[in-house]
Amino acid sequence: MSEKDGIKILICQGTGGISMGAKDVEAAFVRHLAEKGVDAVIGKRCDIIKTGCRGLCANDVLVDIITPEQGRVTYDFVKPEEVEKIIDEHLVKKETIEKRKAKPYYNQFVNAQMRVVMTGCGQIDPESLNAYLEEDGFKAIEKCIRGMKPDEVIEEVKKSGLRGRGGGGFPTGTKWSFCKASPGNHKYLICNADEGDPGAFMDRSLLEGDPFCIIEGMMIAAYAIGCDFGYVYVRAEYPLAVQRLQHAIDICYEKNYLGKNIQGWGFDFDMRIKMGAGAFVCGEETALMASIEGFRGMSRPRPPFPAVRGLWGKPTNINNVETFANVRHIINRGADWYASLGTDTTKGTKIFAVTGKVKHTGLVEVPAGMKIREVIYDVCGGIANNRKFKAVQAGGPSGGCIPAEILDTPVDYDSLIKAGAMMGSGGLVVMDETTCMVDVSRFFLNFTRMESCGKCVPCRIGLKVMLDILERITEGRGEPSDIETLKDLGIAIKKSSLCGLGQTAPNPILSTINYFRDEYEAHINDKRCPSNCCKELLLWQVVVDKCVKCGACKKACPVDAIVWEKGEIAYLDKEKCTKCKSCYDACRFMAIE
Amino acid sequence: MVNLTIDNRQVTAPRNATIYEAAKINGIHIPILCHDNKLKPFGACRMCLVEVEQMKGRQIPACTTPVTEGMIVTTSTPDIIKARKLVLELLLLNHPLDCPVCDKGGDCDLQNLSYDYKISSNRFHDQKFQHKIDYNNPLIERDMNRCILCGKCVRICDEIVSFGALTFIGRGIETKIGCEFDEALNCEFCGSCVSVCPVGALLARPFKFKARFWAMEKKRSICGYCGTGCNLTLGVKEGKVLTTVYDENQGFHRGQLCVRGRFGYQFINNEKRLKKPLIRKNGALVECGWDEALQLAASKIRNGSETAAIATPRLTNEEFFLFRKLMKGIGSENFDHAAGYAHKALTSGFARSLGSAASTAMVNDIQKSDMLLVIKTDSYETHPVIGFEINIAVKDKGVKLNIVSDKNGKLGKLPGARTFVHLPGSETLLINALCSSVIKQKLVSSTAASLPDFKEYAKGIEAFSPEKAASLCGISPEEINSLAADFASSKKAMILFPTGVAYPGHDSELATALANLAILAGKVEGEGCGLLCLPEKNNSQGAVDTGFYPTGKGLDALSVFDAIEDGRIKTLFLAGENPVVSYPDEARIKRALEKLDFLVLTTLFPTETAEYADLVLPASSYAEKEGTFTSAGGHVQYFAPVIPKAGDSRTDFEIISSLIKLTGGEAASNPSEIFAEIASTLDGYAGMTYENLGENGAFTAVKTRPALILPQTQAPALRKPEEFSLVTGALLYHNGTLSQFGEGPMHVSPESYAEISRKDASRLGIKENDTITLTSDSGSMQLAARVSLRIPEGVVFIPNHFSANPVNAIWSGKPVTPVALSR
Repeated sequence: MSEKDGIKILICQGTGGISMGAKDVEAAFVRHLAEKGVDAVIGKRCDIIKTGCRGLCANDVLVDIITPEQGRVTYDFVKPEEVEKIIDEHLVKKETIEKRKAKPYYNQFVNAQMRVVMTGCGQIDPESLNAYLEEDGFKAIEKCIRGMKPDEVIEEVKKSGLRGRGGGGFPTGTKWSFCKASPGNHKYLICNADEGDPGAFMDRSLLEGDPFCIIEGMMIAAYAIGCDFGYVYVRAEYPLAVQRLQHAIDICYEKNYLGKNIQGWGFDFDMRIKMGAGAFVCGEETALMASIEGFRGMSRPRPPFPAVRGLWGKPTNINNVETFANVRHIINRGADWYASLGTDTTKGTKIFAVTGKVKHTGLVEVPAGMKIREVIYDVCGGIANNRKFKAVQAGGPSGGCIPAEILDTPVDYDSLIKAGAMMGSGGLVVMDETTCMVDVSRFFLNFTRMESCGKCVPCRIGLKVMLDILERITEGRGEPSDIETLKDLGIAIKKSSLCGLGQTAPNPILSTINYFRDEYEAHINDKRCPSNCCKELLLWQVVVDKCVKCGACKKACPVDAIVWEKGEIAYLDKEKCTKCKSCYDACRFMAIE
Repeated sequence: MVNLTIDNRQVTAPRNATIYEAAKINGIHIPILCHDNKLKPFGACRMCLVEVEQMKGRQIPACTTPVTEGMIVTTSTPDIIKARKLVLELLLLNHPLDCPVCDKGGDCDLQNLSYDYKISSNRFHDQKFQHKIDYNNPLIERDMNRCILCGKCVRICDEIVSFGALTFIGRGIETKIGCEFDEALNCEFCGSCVSVCPVGALLARPFKFKARFWAMEKKRSICGYCGTGCNLTLGVKEGKVLTTVYDENQGFHRGQLCVRGRFGYQFINNEKRLKKPLIRKNGALVECGWDEALQLAASKIRNGSETAAIATPRLTNEEFFLFRKLMKGIGSENFDHAAGYAHKALTSGFARSLGSAASTAMVNDIQKSDMLLVIKTDSYETHPVIGFEINIAVKDKGVKLNIVSDKNGKLGKLPGARTFVHLPGSETLLINALCSSVIKQKLVSSTAASLPDFKEYAKGIEAFSPEKAASLCGISPEEINSLAADFASSKKAMILFPTGVAYPGHDSELATALANLAILAGKVEGEGCGLLCLPEKNNSQGAVDTGFYPTGKGLDALSVFDAIEDGRIKTLFLAGENPVVSYPDEARIKRALEKLDFLVLTTLFPTETAEYADLVLPASSYAEKEGTFTSAGGHVQYFAPVIPKAGDSRTDFEIISSLIKLTGGEAASNPSEIFAEIASTLDGYAGMTYENLGENGAFTAVKTRPALILPQTQAPALRKPEEFSLVTGALLYHNGTLSQFGEGPMHVSPESYAEISRKDASRLGIKENDTITLTSDSGSMQLAARVSLRIPEGVVFIPNHFSANPVNAIWSGKPVTPVALSR
């Protein structure tokens, strides 16, 4: 549908949008549109479309209004009580409310990206099959079945250079060909939607915003490999994703896009959702399969690889949500087009979840090979609160930290690994000068060691030992030999652990020791935290020279430890202070340290 | 075979071997904690890491990585040694170092590896675990503080025992092995988990503080309970058997034992063991010398025509052979074993249908078959280690399992298993119906169709068409047809059924019916095919092979008691048997024993039957003697004494030998001489000697000559509505009455009970452990009720092992005894 036909009101209803009150905003639109009879007044039909996430969740609720006259206008931070005004002015009077419009950075955020996988996200109604069909939905699978042999599909995907988006970066086409080559007439397809990295949510957004494209991607894979049953393993913590995907599956069954003899094409494919029970390790493919089979989620050694002996002992192909989401675009627009995006070794686009101390957090889809600096500064607007960039943690708890010196590293699989980090699922946690790298390591390690399944010794006990040492260091009880011990242990655990969890868990420590050894040394030798972060090592005080007498610190202090009168320099009562850091975070002038 | 290089040595290994197995075969040792050769590879402990040239940069677990052609493996490099040391350091961090009081000391893999790798200090420090120790059952202690989470206990309980009592719970460093809801262990107590535990986390409580591991001698023997023929390694110190020691390389079962094999050894050193001959003087049994005792016995049995002998199937082949000689020598044909009917399936059924009184299949056929037809779910309880073989066959090898039984049971819970629950006592009828269905569905093998008696048989079996049989056995014609088709159309199929004193319905007719089924379907012989009779006791098959049962005019065991009552038999020689408790109709047995002129008894214990004896001779247990046992499937195994004889006890071999001499025969000098005689007289044993039996034993040769014979069977009498059908059977924890003298089994299964269905219980208002009264034509008894889901309505099950309150007070010895039941 072109933008001239009618008026469309797009309301973001991803998890982020809903949590900011998108349902109420939608209700307000419905109510006011009806009460005012807007359709009749302006002589046009106003359609309210709930869309998936469009990336900039920090500014939710986002409402796009598309009218023939004004084109597309985005309002952000929309509250239900503002809806009446928007209708009156924007729709009826046809005057854009300039003050409430999303700031220019919103457009910069959107325009600096390249949306391929997420084209549907935020634009179409994820609960409507028709909306998906209008966007060339199920054209790719039709093209495959009608015009391509399974081997040709695999060849096309191989040619596109698509690599697994789950983190490992294994070439997808090759993976499919392994599973296809495995003997056996019963094979399984699994979509890994057990997105567990703290801060990463691109898979969730895809499932919530464009579930049909995942189904289509799986159908194409199933056709290529020769299997007729697929599981989507979604974590139970994603209720909306589960609900939207289940809804999409139900519609597909109803309209014969799933089931037997799909659309009369002579192709069968069934799928169902398996919900996880909240274990990070179940994102590891062998643990995931154990979980589907009803066992405790524990990894097993490979070989045998899933392509040979996977789910229920049958050949199985496992891909990540984002990988499947890429597939239809490759088929529709051709492998050559896809291969023209990105770098030599990493093709296409990659979605990143940018979080942390950056101005605009959210989902960002960029061509592979873009520099990290561009992602952080050009797309996400740089560091918040005028602070200095320190590092970015790429790849979640299994990734590593990239310091300012190598900020020009391109975001592709191989460059990131060379920099000591990894693509992982695509989490980018941005850290500024107030972030202590020892503490960051401790945080990530605490996560991974809690999520260790406990099967193999290095991961189960080794990570705990490393965490103990890190905790000692952040509490000022570090010993000079600790750094070498940590390195030694980290390398040994990486080498000897059973699965990806243990093999990557020491990465944050190793990379921070590599790039920020001085911070470790300061903690150990000087009992000082250079970033003013580790509570045990801090004695808070007001820097008299820097204080601008604003009083923000007093307001932030939960225990009344700050004495401040208007026009006076603040004073911090060390007896009362609980070292909670609220004042430090509140002060925008670095006057507390 | 695959060629590879391990530590600069060119070696070969089977195609499906792992690096660890390839190294082991070639005598190269790779340290490991989480591996057991009968469990699936797990890869948890990371001790077996090696370097592989082709996978440079990674450390490869040898236990899970398959070998490939041209692989170059290095088992210890400085890096690998460092990694192994780290694993040990990490394990020792939280593991308590209480080795001085740990029973596992000296046999502990963690201890040994720490020693090998010289872990004398630890770079790291942490608190020791503070888990509560599970002392809630008498047999297995679970100290999770010592656990290294190798997962072997979890896997053995799941993969082999199929119980699933244990699992990993928690995450990260809090991970531990726990039971459901983290509660106390409550399981079958087979102790498989204890046997594979590499550290002292799981311990056998009966062995606690009995001996240091290195202070014991480890001696090989054969289990003296059921007819499975499991190999044992007994831990012996100062002439006492203190424990069973696990050896993963031993026997077809690879060291796997059941609860009675592992924990039931204490009867050997039980303090109640008789140590001196006892002679009845003035109504009381008093000690006497062997000379006096043997002279008296010899003088009493001399008149052969009035003498009968009944033996327990626990004697050795040599003893049976000698015993038969003694009886023949004194002119008596009246000798028998196992109540006279428990061996009829073999001696009569198989003998006439298959041409010899032996099974045509062996235990190791189970895993090679495509389908198992098991008669009675009790097969798991009677022969637990064969039950494990079935578990593995079904779960790991994809073998189909069909069970025909009068109740449900554990075997029926295996994946895909179907249990056909028939009315008690109708098993032969049902098998006949299956045979009839095979013929009707035209699934008869060409060999069977060409048998001379096929036509006559086919005509006779029409009377048992599925439609006619359905209502009599309680299974629908459709189910009968589908089971028959399933059996006959499987490429390989095997029939297993237990026999024993507790299973009077498993008689010659059932054996013939089963043989017919196998013959019709063409499944009599060949790999994964055949009939496997599971005899109750350790040498039941040997007793049959050596011919210790009456032929011609000789009286069978139960007829002996008739003959005593009418005065034809005046002297009875009982070897190890305890008929007062284990034979049907207690009152009648007692009446007969009282009427005897002279009862001589060889026994380990002063049993209930000893109270009727005039002369009690203390016998030696299997651990104190030498000989051979022949187990299910004709496996002949040699065993040597592991401890000196208890007190002045003598082996039955010595006693019988002396009696032969005293009655004018020629005494045998030792068992090996008699075994040579067995080998030269019995075709099946031809060529066997103690030397060539070695540790693996040998299988008796079986010649089959199939014949189709119509079994005699009638529908079981219809139960009156108010009556219950009493069926007896075995418990997992016991075998015969002997296991009552083993502490272990008595800890977990101390007394008898009556098991009834939940529906009957609620109808009669009976709750678990209520005392109920059971009355039959022959008597009345009171038992605690057990309410269960596995028993069908109208059926009451009572185990047959217990001397206190024995079931034979009301049990007739018929396949089904009608009883009245009241609160």
